[in-house]
Amino acid sequence: MMRAAATLLLLATVATCGSPTAVADDVASTIDATLYLEKVKPLLARRCLACHGGLAQEAGLRLDTAALIAAGGDSGPAVIAGVHAESLLIARVADPEPASRMPPEGEGEPLTADEIAMLASWIDAGCSAPADEEPEADPRDHWAFQPRVRPELPAADEGTHPIDAFVNTRLAAAGIAPQPEAPRHVLVRRLFLDLVGVPPTADELQAIMSDHSSDWYEQLVDTLLADPRHGQRWARHWMDIWRYSDWWGLGDQLRNSQKHMWHFRDWIVESLNADLGYDEMLRLMLAADELHPRDLDRLRATGFLARNWFLFNRTPWMDDTVEHVGKAFLGLTTNCAKCHDHKYDPIGQADYYRLRAFFEPLHVRLDVVPGAADVAVDGIPRVFDALLEEPTYRFVRGNDSQPDTSQPLSPGVPALLAFDAIDVEPVALPKDAFEPARRPWVIETHLARQRAAVEQATTAGDAERIALATAELTAVERRAEAMQAAWAQADAAAEADRASLEEAAAVAARAAVRAEREVGRLKAWAAVAAFSGKLAEAAASQDAAAVAELEKQLTAAREKVEQATAAVEEPGESFTRFVGAAWTPTRFHHSGSDDPTLPFPEISSGRRTALAHWITDPRHPLTSRVAANHLWGRHLGEPLVATVFDFGRNGAAPTHPELLDWLAAELVDSGWSMKHLHRLIVTSAAYKRSSSLAGADAAIAADPDNRLLWRRTPQRLEAQVIRDCLLATAGQLDASLGGPSIPAGEQTASRRRSLYFWHSDISRNAFLTTFDDAGVKECYRREQSIVPQQALALANGSLIHEMAAAVADGIASTAGPATALSEPFVTAAFERVLLRPPSPEERSHCQQAVDAWQAAEPGVAADTLRARIVWALFNHNDFVTLR
Amino acid sequence: MPRDVTMPAAQLPRRRQFLADLGLGFTGLAAAAMLHRDGRAAGNSWAPPNGQPHFAPKAKSVIWLFMNGGVSHLESFDPKPMVTKYAGKSIADTPYAEVQNPEKLALERAPVPDANGLQRNTLFPLQVGFRKHGESGIEVSDWFPHTATNIDKLAVVRSMWTTDSNHGAQTQFHTGRHMLDPVQPTLGGWVHYGLGSLNDNLPQFISIGTREYWNRKDGHYLGPAHDAVPLRIDPANPLDFGRPQAAFAGDSQRIGFDLVESLNRLTDAEYPSDPATAARIDSYELAYRMQLSVPEVVNFADETDETKRLYGLDQPHCKEFAEQLLAARRFVERGVRFIQIQHGGGGAGAWDAHGGLKANHETLARAVDQPIGGLLTDLDRRGLLDETIVIFATEFGRTPGTQGSDGRDHHPFAFSVWMAGGGIKGGTVHGATDELGFHAVEDRHYVTDIHATILHQLGLDSHRLEVPGRKRLAIDHGTPIRAILS
Repeated sequence: MMRAAATLLLLATVATCGSPTAVADDVASTIDATLYLEKVKPLLARRCLACHGGLAQEAGLRLDTAALIAAGGDSGPAVIAGVHAESLLIARVADPEPASRMPPEGEGEPLTADEIAMLASWIDAGCSAPADEEPEADPRDHWAFQPRVRPELPAADEGTHPIDAFVNTRLAAAGIAPQPEAPRHVLVRRLFLDLVGVPPTADELQAIMSDHSSDWYEQLVDTLLADPRHGQRWARHWMDIWRYSDWWGLGDQLRNSQKHMWHFRDWIVESLNADLGYDEMLRLMLAADELHPRDLDRLRATGFLARNWFLFNRTPWMDDTVEHVGKAFLGLTTNCAKCHDHKYDPIGQADYYRLRAFFEPLHVRLDVVPGAADVAVDGIPRVFDALLEEPTYRFVRGNDSQPDTSQPLSPGVPALLAFDAIDVEPVALPKDAFEPARRPWVIETHLARQRAAVEQATTAGDAERIALATAELTAVERRAEAMQAAWAQADAAAEADRASLEEAAAVAARAAVRAEREVGRLKAWAAVAAFSGKLAEAAASQDAAAVAELEKQLTAAREKVEQATAAVEEPGESFTRFVGAAWTPTRFHHSGSDDPTLPFPEISSGRRTALAHWITDPRHPLTSRVAANHLWGRHLGEPLVATVFDFGRNGAAPTHPELLDWLAAELVDSGWSMKHLHRLIVTSAAYKRSSSLAGADAAIAADPDNRLLWRRTPQRLEAQVIRDCLLATAGQLDASLGGPSIPAGEQTASRRRSLYFWHSDISRNAFLTTFDDAGVKECYRREQSIVPQQALALANGSLIHEMAAAVADGIASTAGPATALSEPFVTAAFERVLLRPPSPEERSHCQQAVDAWQAAEPGVAADTLRARIVWALFNHNDFVTLR
Repeated sequence: MPRDVTMPAAQLPRRRQFLADLGLGFTGLAAAAMLHRDGRAAGNSWAPPNGQPHFAPKAKSVIWLFMNGGVSHLESFDPKPMVTKYAGKSIADTPYAEVQNPEKLALERAPVPDANGLQRNTLFPLQVGFRKHGESGIEVSDWFPHTATNIDKLAVVRSMWTTDSNHGAQTQFHTGRHMLDPVQPTLGGWVHYGLGSLNDNLPQFISIGTREYWNRKDGHYLGPAHDAVPLRIDPANPLDFGRPQAAFAGDSQRIGFDLVESLNRLTDAEYPSDPATAARIDSYELAYRMQLSVPEVVNFADETDETKRLYGLDQPHCKEFAEQLLAARRFVERGVRFIQIQHGGGGAGAWDAHGGLKANHETLARAVDQPIGGLLTDLDRRGLLDETIVIFATEFGRTPGTQGSDGRDHHPFAFSVWMAGGGIKGGTVHGATDELGFHAVEDRHYVTDIHATILHQLGLDSHRLEVPGRKRLAIDHGTPIRAILS
């Protein structure tokens, strides 16, 4: 203790460093403080502070200031100034015994000899450090964890858009003049590509360019937000963030995601078009099966969770779920706490598994949809709670073969975000949720299918087919009656009713059995008839061997008829039930075949509902901020918080914290209306600015990264937008809504919007991937690379050449094909592809190219030349760029 | 920098980093710029790679030969006479029963439980003889005579281990991570990310041969710009989108590219000093040259007959691999950094000899051996071997015990790889397995030690390539195998 006090005294001396006795020391301490600031402190920050700093104080020790180092922890001072050999800090980092060395084994490599020597030299020189050292802030004080309050609007001229009030205040303070508004054609292209993802037609463009009303812009915004193509455009954004994936596996074996996952995609598109609240979307994605168990449309939303399904192993499935619920909805890297406590944020390892516990009971099933009796053909992939008693354990160092079974963990959220108690209330499900065959369309679909078969047979006039189809229809009817009778019995309230209904159910079941067996008898007869026919043929061709074989088969078939005939009259009540949903079998038990079938429980745990309510509570500090940041970033090209999935202490700070909070408040207070936020953002001056650097030398010098939004940042268009624009420009885009994903083999010929292309880890479109298509496993922001492969795809791809020819022919047919390069043609081509007329220089370059082509290829056709001009415009940087 | 889109340095937006990246050739504008944009670089010393090695490199290029399915180490580079001596006996009845100690088997993680990847107890005799070769006298199986001729150029590592007992181990060998763990970039992706281009006319990271679906990407979180460019040995159509439309090729296409360039330059009036436009202009010029250069590399018309015979181009049983390796040499000659060649890819992989191992391995070895011998000889005589690392690898070994009557199962506990050239010490055997070839016991190496060795020879320190927000573990980095470096 004496020595600790002495050390502190020494530090105090250095810190004040005005003492006349310390003049000589002063010079040395300056040097040593430099060593501390440049070497010691960064090393400690990198290797030690996660456990010995503001976030955690293992063994009572903090190493975030020199004073705290000297004060030490439970074992005493960490350093003895001047004597590294007696300093615990050195002893522990240089400990040859891995069990007692710091950092602990498995949590980081040992410090290098150089690093230890550097620490020792700092200690030997007296542990000098600057006086004004601040300890690390309490992590709970981090901005993103604070309650969100609606900030007051900064003072601004009347009529200033609220967003600009925030932005302009910062610009004015920095003395930066923003760029002027972009020209109208640029604004129109921005709005169309941003809000609906395709350019205007020539007529639309002309109408907008000649619209003299003062609110043409606002009107256009409203029109585009009401356009069904808006949902398609923004669905692709959310499909990136929510990790949309079609199913994939080895050959035909489903291993990841689910069949028919496109229902989830269509739910996103429809919800966006209907402006369903962001909070409601999240609630449905997490818990529609508990909140709306009877509503197939809403159940589609749980595809978000079903997408994480993995055939062989539970843990990666759960890990993906926890990680991406954290990143996508909360901007929290909860995944960093899988193996150890989070190194930056107050999330303990147990918190990770408490979050997992919300999802622990999950399994996936396909629900029968009207019109498709077989879930192999169609069905809604959705989640349900199957394992109500399944415990959740913390895995030691994240290793799933080492569960800590001493302490099962219940669902919960990190303490710092627990603004309210998490109430998990089990949900009693309606009968048709856990007995989905009760849904009326299940039986109706079977009946309709069988009636159609009878009709077809009747049309064909084939008596045998008619008889069989009719018998099959009868069997479906009897089975339906039997199931209904059984339900009536089960549902009967009074004991007396049940007794009488029991007899009715038994009668109906016997009738169903008989009807099914009648079908069997007819099929057996059909087999006899078939063999008889073949036998006659064989006999006619005198094929003795075939005759012998067929006689044997015929005898066997006749025996079957006898058995089937006898069976019809045998008693029995076990008939084939209709299936309303099929569990997607897993293979967790390593048996080489599917795990035993899981039943559908009558209750759901209610865990995910509780989680959903917590996430979408308006008081949650993160959810609305994260959503507003996603929306802003995708409109402006740059989010306010650059690390869109990490709002924690290791993430980036917001460039405009108040604007972010204001946008989040607008989102929540508008009923979480995304269209409200879209409208707000795109009507701001910040959105409308020119992206040009012309005349902006001062702004460039002051803020080269445009953090203060003095101009629009140009964006390279996303892959899907580029392809959709190619098709739309040629008038060939099929903008129809919804349906199964288009497999790779059909994509070349397809004219559908690109969001409908198959998108899985093993099958993505080559043209789209060239332009940085979303990664299937994770894509919170698209990349905007510029690589030569993109040039090749646009220069040589057959789609571009087809579309260029179509555009050129389309223009020529209206503007007149007189010469290869009439002025109206060039103007129309520029307006069609780039939405602006050409300059005289551009015109002249086009003419020069045409001259060169004609010289190189005498007699080259005029339509070829026109198509090449359009090709060149498709390859123009402005075509793939949002200026 | 692009030729004549100039701006005063002081006025450059920070996005000029995008353009610095373009100096990396086909890397283009990728993850580095992305991270820069994210602001993750702010506040610490992180900067994206500048294309320069971290220290003096010993090698410039890598030819990565990967045998899909799992080559039996016992029938290639790690002879174990005891396996034959005790053939037919259960391992438990041999003096080496200890190899099946459950603690030693615990490193295995089976992500795809099927009928394979199990313990095989009855020892299956070696299916081929071994002979000593070269001055080093290293034993090589008789199925690899041409490789054996070059043995003094090779360092054979007999003590490899991995953890995946199924074919996800293919990914694991390329990325260092088990398929149930969050995926990491492959070695080729890291090399592409870390090193600049030696030839702007060619992609710097090429993939040849079929890749199974779990192993089809490289860049992962570094971005798709660091995925290998798939390439076919077909001069008429070697590259996706690499072939001009027939009616718009040659001079006509050049005029078209010139028009695109001049139209892009004209935007400078309205959008002066725009780095993205400049990058786009550059990318078109590079694309134009790439489209011309690549077919020339996979066209062997200017190779002598002697060279073609050396690789085995005239032998139907090995022609396909011979063409791939000759192309690899031609790419290396022209400065391509990383050529990744998958042999027997598709499904589990051709080398996956659960049954009929003898016929399977004999045929496949014949398909690869002469081309490999030819490649080593050819690189050497052209003076290219000194600066080119050739690696022969596979995802795991095969069990000493028999599966069925005549096969071997997956074996993650021990397998062999070899490397040559680029400062690797030839005529070396490193590490050893036990008497049954069951466990790697001496100088054990996890797959990332191979990565670390290759990066080290290329002058890269993987720790310095680490990307903020993407924590890598010590085992992801691995440690260079210094004992095989000259």
